[in-house]
Amino acid sequence: MLEVSLLNIGLTILNLLILYFVAKKFLFGRVDAVLVQRREEVESATKAAETAEQEALNTKKEYEDKIAHVDEEKEQILADIKKQGYAEYERIVSEARKKGDQIIVEAKHNAEVENERAKEVYAAQLTDMVIDAASKIAATKHSAADDMELYEKFINEAGANNE
Amino acid sequence: MKELLNELLMEDKTFLKVPFGSGYLEIYKSVVMTWIVIAFLFILILFLTRGFTVHNISKRQAAVESFVLWIRGVTGGMLGEEAIRYADYIGTVLIFIAFSNMVGLFGFTPATMDLNVTIALSIMSIILVEAAGIKKRGVKNWLKGFAQPMAVIAPMNVLELVIRPLSLCMRLFGNILGATVIMELIKFVMPVFFPALFSLYFDIFDGAIQAYVFVFLTSLYIKEAVE
Repeated sequence: MLEVSLLNIGLTILNLLILYFVAKKFLFGRVDAVLVQRREEVESATKAAETAEQEALNTKKEYEDKIAHVDEEKEQILADIKKQGYAEYERIVSEARKKGDQIIVEAKHNAEVENERAKEVYAAQLTDMVIDAASKIAATKHSAADDMELYEKFINEAGANNE
Repeated sequence: MKELLNELLMEDKTFLKVPFGSGYLEIYKSVVMTWIVIAFLFILILFLTRGFTVHNISKRQAAVESFVLWIRGVTGGMLGEEAIRYADYIGTVLIFIAFSNMVGLFGFTPATMDLNVTIALSIMSIILVEAAGIKKRGVKNWLKGFAQPMAVIAPMNVLELVIRPLSLCMRLFGNILGATVIMELIKFVMPVFFPALFSLYFDIFDGAIQAYVFVFLTSLYIKEAVE
């Protein structure tokens, strides 16, 4: 039982090597392939997640910037609107003032025209009265007393008309 | 009882006689046994690792993956970081010896009960140990390593080249032989119930322990060689 046979030792070593290569190729090799692939997937997924996070952070920053600008823009718009409002106010007030002036001028003009007309009417009445008086004087025989009376009457009438 | 022992220990180990030249090549039963073990392991591995996928793995794949990771953890832990590349070979030897030791369960004579097989295993181990040392340090430093820590003990260090594999092969051989002999005796004395009980220890536990001891020592030598 203790005899040693080089042939059998050699065969056993060969067997061992065969088993090692079989195990290496099929057992460890296949498992390793799966593990490596899985690790790669995990790594790529981690990378993708990191990229996505970075992108999200960038977008967030962008929006924060935008929001900060929105406040500025709001201020700007409000300032613009105020300015516009003042301009409009000025315009309306000046227009109203202009219109008022115009109305006053027109009123003055109308008053003058009315005055002229009233004067003309008065002059026409005066003319009529003179003519009337002249024709009365011409029609009646008159004395100095009569003339005096007529004159008084005329003056009174004219005064009454003129008042 | 003596007849039984004689039958067990002195039996003709020749299984096959292959004509070669003027004589025969005698192939031992143990070698044929290793063929059977290897064929069994080959089929088992092919069956277990069939159709591996990266996602939605089957329970079978999960078991194989965790087994491989576990055995790598065990052998890698013994080898240390510098010699981690030899973990797969050590794992293979562990599986092989464990299976070889346990064929006693099925009524076969364990291959490791033949000195030739354990010699082959320990020769492989010492070759691996020294190869690892040469690869790590280079031939010159490896040769110098024999004279360390001092030149006086160089003969001892050279002797270790023989002592280490010898102790490895004798330990494995003796343990398995002893276990088989005891099992045969138990079967002879108490044929009912007890053989099954003791088989738990001698075939399964002792078989696994001896496989572990063998690869543990080999790993230790490799670790020492690459440090």
